[in-house]
This record gives sequence, C-alpha cells and structure tokens, in this order.
Amino acid sequence: MARRSTRVVLLIGAAVLILVLLSTGQYSSSSLGISSVREGYGTFERVVRAPFSFIAGIWNHYVFLVNTSYENETLQKGLDELRVRTMRLQELENENERLRAMLDFKGKFHDFSLIPASVLSQDITHVFKTMIIDKGSRSGFGINMPILNPSGVIGKVIAVSPHTAQVLLVTDPNSSIPALIESSRVKGIVKGRGENLLSLEYVRSVEEVKEGDSVVTSGLLGMFPKGLKLGYVREVRKDDRQIFADIIVEPCVKMEKIEEVFGIAQGVEVSD
Amino acid sequence: MLKVWKFQISLFGILFAVILMEATVIPAVWAPLRVDFFIGMIIGQIIFVPFSQGFPFVILGSLILQAFSGARLGLIPLLYIFIFLAIEMLKNFIYLENVYTQALLGILFYCLFAVATVFLADFSYLKGIISPLVAGAVLTGCVSPMMVYVVGRLQTTYEQEHE
Repeated sequence: MARRSTRVVLLIGAAVLILVLLSTGQYSSSSLGISSVREGYGTFERVVRAPFSFIAGIWNHYVFLVNTSYENETLQKGLDELRVRTMRLQELENENERLRAMLDFKGKFHDFSLIPASVLSQDITHVFKTMIIDKGSRSGFGINMPILNPSGVIGKVIAVSPHTAQVLLVTDPNSSIPALIESSRVKGIVKGRGENLLSLEYVRSVEEVKEGDSVVTSGLLGMFPKGLKLGYVREVRKDDRQIFADIIVEPCVKMEKIEEVFGIAQGVEVSD
Repeated sequence: MLKVWKFQISLFGILFAVILMEATVIPAVWAPLRVDFFIGMIIGQIIFVPFSQGFPFVILGSLILQAFSGARLGLIPLLYIFIFLAIEMLKNFIYLENVYTQALLGILFYCLFAVATVFLADFSYLKGIISPLVAGAVLTGCVSPMMVYVVGRLQTTYEQEHE
C-alpha cells in the first residue's frame, strides 16, 4: 500500500514539475538554475580536457615544432579577427558609397569589440541547434549577444552563466534574424530550417532575387549589427498565386565545423 | 541509506561522462550524430533499482540533460519520463534482462524520442537528419545493453560492499 502511494506521489510530483517547466517559456533556463548545470559541466569538461591539452601542447609546441605552431595559432587568431573586421569594413564601405550618393544621410557607427570563445559542446538532440561556449558573463557575454566567426553569423546567446553561454544557432528552427539581400537591399527574415540551411521569408514574389545573392543582417531590432554575412541565396521558388517567394539560403558558416567564435560586445547602431 | 546515496552519486558521475560523450566527443567525430546513452541507463534503473529511487534519478538526470539542449524547458524531462514509464509498463510483458531486448528498446525509444522532438517542436523538415538518425539509432541500440550492464554492475558492487 505504502509502495503504491509513493509511486502516486512521485508521478503527481513529476507531472506538476513538467507542467511548471513547460509553462516557463522557451529560453528561461537561466532563471531556474539550469545554467548552473552547464557551469558545472564547463568545469568538468575543462578538467577532463586539461591533461589531453597539456600532452597535445607539449607535443605541438615543444616536441614537434618549437614555437612555430604556437606562433601560427596566434597569427591565425589575429587573422580571424581581421577577417571579421574586413567583412564589417566592406559593408561600411558599401554603405558609405550609398550614403554619399544619397547626400542626405549621414552614417554614424559606434565601435565594437570582439570577445573570443571556444565551443564546449553541441545540442544533445537532432532537431534543436544550440551549442555551449566556454565564456560567460564574466567575459562580457550576455543574453542576445550576436555570435559570429570570420565566415559570418553563427547565432545569438540565449542563456548565460559566469563561465559558459548557450548559443542558439541561426540554423535552429526557433531562430529568426532580420536580413536583407546585399545587392538589391530587399528585406526579409532569415529563419533556421533545422538542417544546415536557412530560409529567407517575407520577401514578395515581385522582388528581384537571384541565386548567389549575398544575404546580410539588416540591423533591424538592433540585436545584430548591420551588414554581417548570413549566407548566399541557393534557390528561389516563385509562385504567382503566393504573395511571398520561397527562398533557400545556404549559411556562410559550416555549422558542424565551428571551433572558435567571437561575441560582439557592443551593438552597432546607426543614428541619423 | 548511505549505500543508496553512494550509488546515486556514482550514477550522476556516469551521467556527466555520458554527457561528455553525447555533447562533445561524438559531435566532434560526426557533427549531426547523436547517440543516446541515457535510454540504457533508464532500462538499467528499471531492472536493478526500485521505482522510488529510479524515477527521481530519471527526473533529475533529464533535467541535467535539458541544460544541454535548446528544446523548450520541460520537453526533455517529459520525454524521458514517458520512456521510463513506458518501459516500466513493458517489463510486465517482456523479458528486459535480455541483451537483444535492451538493444531493440534502445533503438525503438531513440526513434520515438527523435520523432517526438520533431513533432513537439513544430518542425517539419526530417530529410536532412535521416542518415544521422539511423546511425544514431543503431549505435544507441549497441550502447543500451552496455549502459544496463554498467548500472547493474554498480548496483551489485554497492550491494556486496554493504553485506
């Protein structure tokens, strides 16, 4: 009898817990202390990784090639950062030309800094596309911070703890970013499709969109700075009976090969 | 009582090692591949551990796993609790101690888990994940009996230690 009542209590408890959790919303893990699990895992992962990194470090930096490998790594990091800056500068240059041509506009940009981080782990499910990085609020990462690498935009931070942060990739079905076609300035919303592809939505069928067109962030909502590369138009399907075109975008970033990322510490706002 | 705590702490230690495999090591080998070690642990709990201990472990363990997913909060615990209760019910009809049964249950519930996440996440595109899904199901079928053995071995060790 007592065993049966224990079962009933446990089952009711579980049902209540699930209902409470499901009612808290999509990304509220940080407020419920689940982030501390990631924090603990981050420490555990670093401890497990430490001896391997140590041995690999000795081999690469001392035994195999004295200094050369280390120098190469440092230069590579510097180069990655420069690539991101070049990408941004390219957009600034385009924007500058456009604004000069229009004469009435004056662009004013705040500077931003890039915070490097490494990937700790990937999402444990097939459908959802998130990853955990090894830097958190102590390093300056915060909720909704854009994450990118030299190839383009990766996603945004959805949960943060002192030493780790959870990043929602642009390919996740729940991800949506205001974007535009770089050449024609046609605006839309880039959404994740779950696989390694994106779709550009809410672009009218009458707009001119070609395969190979570059898709960049539009800067709307202020979360992502304007002009960051998202991907290239891979396929355009237009139907006269539909208002919007079906546009498939291939992301610039190979999501399965991400190792190092950058967080943008300050948003870039255009003020008139 | 001390025995129970030691056993549970060891299980959570194993769970962290499992997460390391699931979220870091396996995706490093093949990014879209996901192998579920936790289903094997659930089967092990049902075979070797009383409901009053196994069920709370599954709830806490799935809450920990939730921290490593972008799924809606509560979805991962909901699915693992469903798996636990389904296997708990199935044990009255099938012989759970059989290795092949464990492997088949691993494959079956891995597929059900994947389909349920696709369905509950309102996500309609399965094409891109079919091959990692099949590979993941086969590997989950292989590791499930292994995880059952680990749980059973741990339980036996603590039983013998306290006799």
